[in-house]
Amino acid sequence: MKDLKEKNETKDKYAVRPIVGEKRAFATGNEVVAWAALAADADIMYGYPITPQNEIMHYWTRMSEKYGRGFLQTEDETSAGFTTLGGVLAGRRSFTATSGPGNMLMQESMCMAEMMRLPTVMIVQQRGGPSTATVIYSQQEVNLTCFGGNGEGFRIVYSTCSHQELFDYTINAFNVAWTHRFPVFVLGDGYQAKMREPVTMYDPRDKGITMVPTEPYVLKEGCAGVDREPQQMRNTYNTEEELNEVVEGLNAAYQAVIPQVVKHEEYACEDADYVIVAHGVVTRAAQAAVEYFREKGLKVGHFRPVTLRPFPGEAFRPIADRAKKILVAESALGQMRRIMTDTIYGCSTPMVNFFKPGEGISTEEIIVKVEEMMAEDK
Amino acid sequence: MHKRIAEAFVGEYASGKSENAIYRALSLKKAGGKVTLVDFDIVEPCYTLRPLKQELTELGLNVLAWSTSETFGLGEAGQTILPQARWALRREGHIIVDVGYGADGARALNLLEGSAVDPDLRVVLVLNARRPMTDSAMRIEEYIESMGRVDGIIANTHLADETTPQTVEDGYHIIKEVAKRRNIPIDAISVSQQFNEKYPKFGLDDKELRVLGAFMPRSFW
Repeated sequence: MKDLKEKNETKDKYAVRPIVGEKRAFATGNEVVAWAALAADADIMYGYPITPQNEIMHYWTRMSEKYGRGFLQTEDETSAGFTTLGGVLAGRRSFTATSGPGNMLMQESMCMAEMMRLPTVMIVQQRGGPSTATVIYSQQEVNLTCFGGNGEGFRIVYSTCSHQELFDYTINAFNVAWTHRFPVFVLGDGYQAKMREPVTMYDPRDKGITMVPTEPYVLKEGCAGVDREPQQMRNTYNTEEELNEVVEGLNAAYQAVIPQVVKHEEYACEDADYVIVAHGVVTRAAQAAVEYFREKGLKVGHFRPVTLRPFPGEAFRPIADRAKKILVAESALGQMRRIMTDTIYGCSTPMVNFFKPGEGISTEEIIVKVEEMMAEDK
Repeated sequence: MHKRIAEAFVGEYASGKSENAIYRALSLKKAGGKVTLVDFDIVEPCYTLRPLKQELTELGLNVLAWSTSETFGLGEAGQTILPQARWALRREGHIIVDVGYGADGARALNLLEGSAVDPDLRVVLVLNARRPMTDSAMRIEEYIESMGRVDGIIANTHLADETTPQTVEDGYHIIKEVAKRRNIPIDAISVSQQFNEKYPKFGLDDKELRVLGAFMPRSFW
């Protein structure tokens, strides 16, 4: 840490750029995250190994020393989560990455980040569950990542679908976190982690993206109570009323942030009779299915929530109301659907579930499902 | 009698080691003789030969790899080397070894009995100059240094289905520059079947062009 401090104090911090210009590269999703964090001037990663996230750590450790960044491997994920908070308190652009059981252990610290409004960044590469399950793939960490712990889900969760998005949203995550001071999550999965595909990597500065400056929460200059407001960070309160006031305050702040961060994508939804709702990597299958049906002149659309928390219910409501039927496709038993239905309460459009917990969903499978729905309506 | 070929394929994660190892083993098989293909990946058990064992065996290779049902905790628990793989260099015929990625993968070669003294064994580095860790002459040179021993190079630069002749050529020139400086021969240039169908006349410097089959996409986990 001493070295890191010295490096951070030099004027041309991070003068040697890891990515020069714009580069089309062939990479795995995990690597892309590590490069994105480097390009975003992340100062330090805290982590504990778990598949399928490991190469984020591998690549970060291979490069961090060369580019003057820090890395701390902790004794477990509980510690990796809390040390990430520590990095943020010290004013460092800090992040961690995990999966499955590791995500569970990190919920305690992420709840603390919600309570103290600490801009942590966490990458989750979802694996199968419950428990250790598989190291491969699933979309079963939606509940946990959006609402884990004993809090109210004051978080921002981006569900990515490609290497390009892993790169773009990892950079974006740091800026959203440090702008709004809520924990931000990039929700990938084992497929995206291990898959290899071309990606454009860039220095955010070359794209006109300015990294939002960080600042320490503690150990600031001057005399606390004389030169500046004393800083008292709390996650514990005495009375119900005190806590209620704090949580209501957090909620008001979170509600104000929602319109600025909520994000979705629509594919041919404007006149769609059948709307496929899918997030993350499953959107790729849904998009291809829409292309297939539209070529045949059939009115099929796809709604993709990019942020799962906050969920883009307001944008989805008119599309859902207009549709004849909705197909919900996810590699989990309705974890996204529960969030979605809550935001469109009262919508009477029938919904068909296509749930495959822990397994991938292909374009062909979605096509068959939609054709079945169409056949029922004939 | 064919000259015995013994090659260990090393390189960066997702550089094309396994695909090149499979190509090499199958082409030696076609030329006649016994070929043993050894899975020596103890770093990343995700993309390995294991799921292809039966298919490659049916193609006439002697495959030394775990079966999926014999292993557990992919990527979680420590990997164990298949006992007979350790002694592979003592086998009759050609020996192709697919080694785990990076410097740690290459270090595992120490566990291959006889690897330091086998007069035929060559360590072949597979390089894709579009992989971020090996995307410039400087980075490739650093990479070679970390590997310890490299006796030959395969230039395997590609961008999956976005690959154009320019992609392959640019990569080749970067690799050639380093190979020349380090006095390491470039054994061949490798491209995908898809690329070869699109650009059948492609070639560079009269180098051997290896057209790789797409085995590895089927090997996930």
